[in-house]
Amino acid sequence: MSTIGEKVNEIYDSFFKKTWSPMTGGILLALLAIFMFAWQRPWGIVGGIRNWADWLFYAVGIFDEEPPHPLYYSSSVMNLGLLAGAWISAVVAREFAFRVPPVLELWKGLIAGIFMGIGSTLAYGCNVGGFYSALHNLAANGLTMMVGLIAGVIVGLKYLYWEMEHLSPGPAGPTFLGNIPPVFGILGIFGLIAWAYAYGYSDMEDAELMAGYLLIGAGIGFVFHRSRLCMVNGFREPFMTGEAAMGKAVAVSVILGTIGIAIMKYMELRPEDAYVVPAFWWGSLVGGFIFGAAMVVAGGCGSGSLWRVAEGQIKLWVVIISFALTNSLMRYWFEETGFMEKLGQPVYLPDIFGYGGSIFIVIAVMLIWYIVIDWNEESNKFVIEM
Amino acid sequence: MSDTKIAPDGLKVARTLDAKGLSCPMPLLRTKKEIEKIKSGEILEILGTDPGSRNDIPGWCSRAGHEYLGEKEDSGFIRFYVKKK
Repeated sequence: MSTIGEKVNEIYDSFFKKTWSPMTGGILLALLAIFMFAWQRPWGIVGGIRNWADWLFYAVGIFDEEPPHPLYYSSSVMNLGLLAGAWISAVVAREFAFRVPPVLELWKGLIAGIFMGIGSTLAYGCNVGGFYSALHNLAANGLTMMVGLIAGVIVGLKYLYWEMEHLSPGPAGPTFLGNIPPVFGILGIFGLIAWAYAYGYSDMEDAELMAGYLLIGAGIGFVFHRSRLCMVNGFREPFMTGEAAMGKAVAVSVILGTIGIAIMKYMELRPEDAYVVPAFWWGSLVGGFIFGAAMVVAGGCGSGSLWRVAEGQIKLWVVIISFALTNSLMRYWFEETGFMEKLGQPVYLPDIFGYGGSIFIVIAVMLIWYIVIDWNEESNKFVIEM
Repeated sequence: MSDTKIAPDGLKVARTLDAKGLSCPMPLLRTKKEIEKIKSGEILEILGTDPGSRNDIPGWCSRAGHEYLGEKEDSGFIRFYVKKK
């Protein structure tokens, strides 16, 4: 018989220390994405990091218009929550440390980030806003971005194989600040609660909504880090090692989120046009291709790069900075020239197939992907040899 | 997921791969390449700093048929041990 103390330790370890399975992460992410939409709006990444970069360009006088305040801008607050939640998870699990990679990796981060900025501009979002949340919202551009992402991932992987043969990474930089006591992570939870609570005392417009963006975002970050859920891994591994666990988790996450979010749109609880952007078909397809190739080289997508930033991986800091700056500049340029309207049409699947048909299409696509990568796990038919 | 497997002491290593500072997927890709350079039954040691390798390397071993012998914490990095099939 174990004592109460041992039981408490066991529960603490399984919740805070051991890595959760990808499927646990995928299911919880879907529930949190549904919760975010029920709270107010779909979960997204790019709007928030673009907001941070917009501030920089505004500060140096390139942009005339003052951007929204990052502490009162929904997408930015979601990202801050994601960073906080992932940081808490990393510290409590003793996995946080600033890790400085070899110089080659920093260059890869810089260049991949630039291409992620370009791809996410064309697709009106990264793999979250352009694919994951877009499918939840029954937007046709989510399907075309998925096709682009898969094609891009193959190209990105082929580049990595080429790099392995021709380039040496060189020596790594230092690893430091890796001994933060886990109690700081627990204190971080109280800090988050205090931050959310403080919104209740703010006079700013929609301040009370920010508390939800922050805390649900933190839940998303925590789930991501605990399960090391990674959409890059989900798309890449079937071609690299044949492993399908992460890809299957992403497929299930899309299916669950679609059911939950489509119901809210069907019942007219939320606007039908949410996340249906004028990027069908070519903007989402080409953007997905560019973003897919770049995210493999970066080692993180929109969400995956952010939670790795919170884990202290300096390469992903470089990725996020160059990704944000590029997306901000390109979006500004495209809006000035009217090109944002020329990336395709906004196509809402229920306008063509009805709600039942649209949900069926998304589930069918995800199930086909699930079955194919599951079959490939044994047959290795799609694995690209080095 | 499984508990961390601690490698036994006194392992005779045939080759060491320094993957410190590399993040996913580079440690695993370099491991895949490096294991080609040792003979069946020999042990490859991988030095890494990416916590993700704790899942990636054992997962890949079970798929590829190599034996994952476990890990050892060092100062600021982890040593992973893989016995080639």
